[in-house]
Amino acid sequence: MKISRRTMIQATAAGVAGAAALPLVKLPVALPKPKFFTPAEFALVDEMSDMIIPTDQQSAGARAAGVAMYIDGRLAESFEPEQPQRWRAGIKAVEALSREMHGKTFMQSTPEQRVTLLTRIAAAESDPKSDAEKFFKEIKGGTIRAYYTSKIGIHDDQQYKGNVIQPGEYAGYDAT
Amino acid sequence: MTLIRFKASQEQDVDLSVTYDAVVVGSGAAGGMAAHVLTSQGMKVLLLEAGKKIDINSELRSMEWPYDHPRRGEAPPGYHAIRFNEYNVRKPPYATKSAFKHVFSYVGGWGGSDYVKNILVDEKDHPYTGTKYAWVRARLLGGKTNIWGRLALRLSDYDFKGKTHDGYGEDWPICYADIEPYYDKVDLYLGISGHKENLPHLPDSLFQRPNKLTGSEVKLRKSLATMNRTVTPYRAGVTTDGVKNKYRSKCFGRGACGRRPGGCDIHAAFDSPTGLIYPAMDTGNLTLRTNSTAHEVLVDPNTGKARGVSFVDSQNHRTYEAKAKVVIVAASTLESARLLLLSKSRQHPNGIGNSSGHVGHNFCEHVMGPGVTGLVKDMVGAPPTLDDGKPGGFYVPRFRNLQDKQPGFIRGYGFEGGSGFSIFPDSAWDTPGFGGQFKKSVREHAGAFISMGGFGEVLARYENYVDLDPEVKDAWGIPSLRFHYEFSDNEKKMCEDMANAGKEMFEAAGVEVVGVDKNILTEGWSIHELGTARMGNDPKTSVLNQFQQSHDVKNLFVVDGSSHVSASCQNPTWTIMALAWRSCEHLADEFKRGNL
Repeated sequence: MKISRRTMIQATAAGVAGAAALPLVKLPVALPKPKFFTPAEFALVDEMSDMIIPTDQQSAGARAAGVAMYIDGRLAESFEPEQPQRWRAGIKAVEALSREMHGKTFMQSTPEQRVTLLTRIAAAESDPKSDAEKFFKEIKGGTIRAYYTSKIGIHDDQQYKGNVIQPGEYAGYDAT
Repeated sequence: MTLIRFKASQEQDVDLSVTYDAVVVGSGAAGGMAAHVLTSQGMKVLLLEAGKKIDINSELRSMEWPYDHPRRGEAPPGYHAIRFNEYNVRKPPYATKSAFKHVFSYVGGWGGSDYVKNILVDEKDHPYTGTKYAWVRARLLGGKTNIWGRLALRLSDYDFKGKTHDGYGEDWPICYADIEPYYDKVDLYLGISGHKENLPHLPDSLFQRPNKLTGSEVKLRKSLATMNRTVTPYRAGVTTDGVKNKYRSKCFGRGACGRRPGGCDIHAAFDSPTGLIYPAMDTGNLTLRTNSTAHEVLVDPNTGKARGVSFVDSQNHRTYEAKAKVVIVAASTLESARLLLLSKSRQHPNGIGNSSGHVGHNFCEHVMGPGVTGLVKDMVGAPPTLDDGKPGGFYVPRFRNLQDKQPGFIRGYGFEGGSGFSIFPDSAWDTPGFGGQFKKSVREHAGAFISMGGFGEVLARYENYVDLDPEVKDAWGIPSLRFHYEFSDNEKKMCEDMANAGKEMFEAAGVEVVGVDKNILTEGWSIHELGTARMGNDPKTSVLNQFQQSHDVKNLFVVDGSSHVSASCQNPTWTIMALAWRSCEHLADEFKRGNL
């Protein structure tokens, strides 16, 4: 399945899985635009984050949770220039690898080809060497942080029970 | 120092023309307790706090969901928390040449740095020099009690009489029986949660409802019992059944307690403002002045006694004088030492109360870093439960060098630990791969990990000390502290044992060990600095007597952690408050008798 950037942002704005099927014209609010990523970069980050944490039976994935937009916002305001530079260079390295492996960009590749590429750069996760391998660590970390602090991550996926008034019963066991 | 004196600024509305019965410097656990005890005895007290008075509830936003914060809790661009590597590869001052606009101690990097950016000092304004040290300072009403870890432990005669037990260092001038009634008072007035264990080396408090243990913790507790060791629910300075205090609520176990750096918007967790200072103000006997950085204890040229405190208003940079019959220093271990050393006069050329030369010395704390993480297999796939709806996980009290004698080191350590589900699945960071399998694995394992880290006693040594830097000054022109401090071989050997013992205990409990950390964190990391103005019976080798009263100047008291003779391995806050209560009761009696 190939998803255009616009449709994907719409899904993010709607905040629900499967919103990509909604017709564009009915969208009531202006769509947020990435501030740091170019449209092509954003599409790659969005797709890759959703491959790292996809939708499953339990909960929607990184795309629906707006992970790429959150990362974009942080990079756009970054005080240190190194981090945005690292992301940009990392995306370039992934695109170069994609052309080398499949003769096309990451987003032009088939879903199977994307998985092949991601599997390759994820293999060196514990000791990344190339820029593309380092990028996997970067985007995985960013995805974890953004997803598990999102509504979908906290409530739907982790089913976190706290941060609300409790009825006075406590989980766990007495020390006996 | 030659300084021009000004009257108090109007907006502070504090009358500095009167002579107070007592002036207290610092509003944390020690200063708050001094204010509470003295005002309840009818004394008129002026409390000076170097930091601001800020609305801690709106600062900490305890119930804010991560996704309702624009940066999910992180500080705005330009703010930076010093990292472990920076502390170790560089030397203080850490922030002077930093490109960042604001630099904070490492605490600014965990638990949501946006929530502490107005609580911690900006290292750019507060430089220190010398050996590497992770000095965490909170300048605001209540000091570090606004962000403390809440572990509230008593010391025992294994600590107070450590020299008698193993020959090292000095005994305290008090024993457990002297302080026990005051531990009880602190327990009852502030509330403490815990479970009775009847351990001679970790005396029980008068506990309110204990926190529950997770399944993993019960497993470890059962196993350690066979080794004659203990896993006990986190003894927390948190009221779980409530206390008579209109500013505080009891704990409802709402959760995400670990997400904030200690703060609690309903003040079930003890903090000095709601626990001590606001009730003291309600007596009508307490006057508070914030933004007031004391830099000199003033001396009567005729008597050599303290006559008040000179302070700088941190906002208008003007210097003022507060007059008092008794001066109580409670600025935190290192700041109190700094203030004493700054207070040089003809009568006290080495700094007030420092005829022994021990001010700044015998500096000690807790060493930490080594720890162990394990996976409890039968918890994998368990349905989520609210495991962080409590102030902490568990505590493993000291078990070394009590009956036994370790070959490599003296004294001991305890472990703080936790397990189960929390608002953020930390195990995601170490879960390999990506895709559906990764996501499922994170979910299934989120509640199955257990971890603990050691806190060990750093020996009090004369050679570990702070003094004043001859050149470097802070943003208000006050000379900075210079550190001469490092861990010794005893701490290093102890840390090796911590890592090994932690691993052994997990393995014995059938917990699969997935990580053993052997690294020692930078000096200062525990935020438990102690000992720079120790008590003792001999004025030649100690600064204070058993009532935290200066041997040299009878109307000068130092009631914070600087008075501790040894660090113990138990967290100091409860002892700081019990000691301050005892000393201030004595102080009030002496004051009434006209002996000060």
